[in-house]
Amino acid sequence: MEATAIHDLLKQRFGDDVLDLVDDHEQGAQVAPARVAEIALALRDGDDLDFDSLMCLTGIDWDGYDETGKGKSVAILGYDESGKPETSDRVGEGDLGVAYALYSHRHGHKFCLFARVPRSAPELPSVSGVWPTAAWHEREAFDLVGMRFTGHPDLRRILLDDEWEGHPLRKDYQMPDVWGEVPMNGQPYADAKWGEDDVVVPPAPAPGGDA
Amino acid sequence: MRKNYTESTTPPEGYDPQREQTLDFAIDEDLAKLTASDDKNFILTTVDELFNWARLSSIWPVTFGLACCAIEMMAASATRYDIDRFGAGAFRATPRQADLMIVSGTVTAKMATRLRRIYDQMPEPKWVVAMGSCAIGGGPYFKYGYHVVKGVDFMVPVDVYIPGCPPRPEVLLDGLMRLQDKIRGRKGKFRAPKWVADYAKKIPYVKR
Amino acid sequence: MSEALSTHGWQDQDRPHDMHSELLEINMGPQHPATHGVLRLLIHTDGEIVHKVTPVIGYLHRCAEKIAEGCDYRQWMVYTDRFDYLAPMNMNFGYAVAVENMLGCEVPERAEHIRVICAELQRIISHLIALGTFGLDMGAWTPLLYCFREREEILNIFERLSGGRMLYNYFDIGGLRFDAYDGFAEDVLDIVNIMEQKLGEYNTLLSYNKIFIERTADVGVIDAADCYAYGCTGPVLRGAGVPFDCRKDDPYSIYDRFEFDIPYGEGEKGTIGDCWDRYIVRVREMYESCRIVRQALDAMPDGPIMSEDVKKLVKPPVGSLYTRTESSKGEIGFHIFSDGGSKPFRNKVRSPSFSNLQVLEKVGPGLMISDLVATVGSLDIVLGEIDR
Repeated sequence: MEATAIHDLLKQRFGDDVLDLVDDHEQGAQVAPARVAEIALALRDGDDLDFDSLMCLTGIDWDGYDETGKGKSVAILGYDESGKPETSDRVGEGDLGVAYALYSHRHGHKFCLFARVPRSAPELPSVSGVWPTAAWHEREAFDLVGMRFTGHPDLRRILLDDEWEGHPLRKDYQMPDVWGEVPMNGQPYADAKWGEDDVVVPPAPAPGGDA
Repeated sequence: MRKNYTESTTPPEGYDPQREQTLDFAIDEDLAKLTASDDKNFILTTVDELFNWARLSSIWPVTFGLACCAIEMMAASATRYDIDRFGAGAFRATPRQADLMIVSGTVTAKMATRLRRIYDQMPEPKWVVAMGSCAIGGGPYFKYGYHVVKGVDFMVPVDVYIPGCPPRPEVLLDGLMRLQDKIRGRKGKFRAPKWVADYAKKIPYVKR
Repeated sequence: MSEALSTHGWQDQDRPHDMHSELLEINMGPQHPATHGVLRLLIHTDGEIVHKVTPVIGYLHRCAEKIAEGCDYRQWMVYTDRFDYLAPMNMNFGYAVAVENMLGCEVPERAEHIRVICAELQRIISHLIALGTFGLDMGAWTPLLYCFREREEILNIFERLSGGRMLYNYFDIGGLRFDAYDGFAEDVLDIVNIMEQKLGEYNTLLSYNKIFIERTADVGVIDAADCYAYGCTGPVLRGAGVPFDCRKDDPYSIYDRFEFDIPYGEGEKGTIGDCWDRYIVRVREMYESCRIVRQALDAMPDGPIMSEDVKKLVKPPVGSLYTRTESSKGEIGFHIFSDGGSKPFRNKVRSPSFSNLQVLEKVGPGLMISDLVATVGSLDIVLGEIDR
């Protein structure tokens, strides 16, 4: 089934809660966040839809996304040359979002749902009642991006430790320099000096000849 | 290039499935002289040398494979790069029976406290080998790795660093031989060298 | 709860009536010889029978998705190697196909054929380790050494091809980084011929071994409904009787030109979907990989190995795309969000072992601890791709 047909079917059932069709590389639809679980159930149980598997659930931080398409999104912060974490006063703004990539084994079609919520209230209904595999994927989205899922049976961090602070995949996340008593600083590379009896490697010959 | 790859099923020439390879030993002449003669033999050495030789010839590592380097460690203990000929083939699952901890792979913040705990459970004398660039200095994850400890020497005192990503099994064996040299040169005290005890005191004991 | 537990021999009426037993909470901790990496299983047991198992992951979380936002598309190929470090070129393949789908570029024929040959050889070496370590978990020490012996032969080829034994960074976006060396085809053919004879050896040693069958048949049954619900793919799904394979049902690259079968579990030695089925699916997949490699060698043309359309700085157009390919552990998917620039906005990796491990929470209760070890071994997880 084509994505436009699926989109129309959903729009008939859910009206204004189904927003635009997404049709650039990926076929899908943007939906209103409050009704994600019901739309998911309709997609799973609908006769010609039968989306019985959730392939992937991605948590995204849309902070600083460059709408013009020139690739000038905000840069992330890392560790600098001396190993200390980079700091910045910039406060994150923008939405948080989730993308659900669905597939139907019976019909062989794919569909992708996108939902966006404001950063101040990052809540989405959980789809782990529809596809049990979403339980861990939603825990990961909570862990890395900070998206909360209402109705999730066990929403806690999965990859990072339970007491980790912050959500690392946000664009304004600053790297930690210590965690508990474990030092997370880098070791400085800029100070490495060659000794007198170290071997000096001659520069490599310029490329050319045989590739 | 040959045609008909789909139909050819003959193994290469000289391949005999019954006999994989012929083993060719060269006899060690000194050893033969030593063991062949009828006279009673004496060996003069110091107690230090004897104990050091015993220790370096049977370094038993604890299974501490974390990531990709663990597979090269397994390959080093497989048949081609046999680590057992150095005496180090008995990987112990429990640190209480091991001498060596080969930290092979990335140490993350979550794993760092457990690593320290395993190190503390090993009895003296113990050695640590940092295998791979992640264990040496964070590896390819040094710039944006918020969860990666940039080098295992932030957590335990390291004796030998083996570079590579991952290091070949032969390099691991070379590192093991350097560790053996280090052990051979020890001046017989039955506890850890001073620098190890000092270093270990500087690293705070993590209580998690 | 007690009627849901089925054990080999110990029935509930055998329990003495005045035995007040509590659940013991033990830790198959991150450092354990049988957990295939740094996985922690928190088990609540009643004696030997597991009542609840909670996998705790994250001990190898290496922040690869954050790194993706800081480096180029081409540079990130290095990090994809480290996900499934037993079959790294499959990860490279998945990522390269994902970015090429977004760019819409054509990969030259010679590169496609070499890619397929490499991916199938990687599947073979990954399955060799899966079988070897599975046997090791069951107490069989010999098959591991045999598997490593074959693996070394194949790694020789990869070393000559790309320079690395285990982690290659060989695929590039739009093709390959280096061309195949002279004699590549002969070497691969020799390996494939040897492989087909050796698989007979493994079958004698392990697959049809009575003790192995007793330990793995009827153990850890994951049926098809659970697989669909929990998103299990790869040999886990095929072992449950569902002949679904991304190479056939959602084809990418040039897999639609080759003839190969999809082995699936039929409950030969026990129930459909038990550990033995998943194991034998992997053995049979190795035969099928040999078939694909032969056909690819026959059809391999000469020509360029790098696409002309791909610029030095890869900049996919704005939008997102999810692409999946079949790795040896299951379906690896890359959901790439691009803002038009040279660095990805968000790269999400959907790894097969992440979903495969989740089913352990459902299947674990009721098994004995040694059966749990067998089930974890038959899922064939790799912590590098679970934790990324």
